[in-house]
Amino acid sequence: MSAETAEILLRFGLAISIIVLGALVYWLINQRLLVRASNNVFTLFNQLPNKPVLVYFTTPDCAPCKTVQRPAIDRVSNLLGEKLEVIEIDAYEQPDLAKTWGVMSVPTTFVLDARGEARYVNNGVARVEKLLEQIQTL
Amino acid sequence: MASQTLQKVDHSALKTNQLIIISLNVLAFILNLPILAAFVALVMGIGSALKIPGFGFVYKNLLKPRGWMKPDVVDDNPEPHRFAQFLGFVFMTAGSIALFLGATVLGWSLVWLVVMLAALNAFGGFCVGCAVYYWLSRFNLPGFNKQPPTGTFPGMKPGVGASR
Repeated sequence: MSAETAEILLRFGLAISIIVLGALVYWLINQRLLVRASNNVFTLFNQLPNKPVLVYFTTPDCAPCKTVQRPAIDRVSNLLGEKLEVIEIDAYEQPDLAKTWGVMSVPTTFVLDARGEARYVNNGVARVEKLLEQIQTL
Repeated sequence: MASQTLQKVDHSALKTNQLIIISLNVLAFILNLPILAAFVALVMGIGSALKIPGFGFVYKNLLKPRGWMKPDVVDDNPEPHRFAQFLGFVFMTAGSIALFLGATVLGWSLVWLVVMLAALNAFGGFCVGCAVYYWLSRFNLPGFNKQPPTGTFPGMKPGVGASR
């Protein structure tokens, strides 16, 4: 292996390490968000619905919510029917709720299991396949 | 907070700009190409001068027309984003000069700083340069006269908690 190739590989390794470190920090932030959501689940329900819940934060002027997220959630809802409860929250109308749940941008979706534990959070658009995969692993 | 007129800002153009800056800078580091980092600095400088996202032309001419990225138009102030890009340009220029002068640790540290701030913006929705702009506006500095959209935390993407 030439010295030049070795240097490129070393730099590649360094770059990957920095990116992994960044991803780790992002993961930790998301874990914190999930704990926060789980602690505040009773701000949404008086009684748990005993089935998975998709909590969807949106605003009326959020373009990707209308064009991508809303159709994706509709499709997931149609596919799973009564097995899933979808709760849509307009963050303009309920800013305190969005704040309590630590929502920083829209769309944001939380996937809660039947016990009310927040298991997944998607900051930004989550596509049908991803939502289905998350719900099926509950 | 004083009322102000917001403009339509396409955050997809900003995100494209950030993602290209991240990609090119990481590539410049891996291949040890200070000239590529200098090119990124140059494009960011041109973007700052023209008051547009430097690599926004990729979004405008390629990604948007082909539907590969959808517009994400938000009521927002464009000035803080321009300032953020200008800050990035300053860091990238300083980093490039350091690299050409042989101060590689300093140079690549500055380049990675820009990568991290761009990533925070692209993936976390928090614009540090915008937050600095809004912080400076509190001191009534000339040219820093915009306030965050009502209910929006300075630097965060408007939407959550912002008034209609």
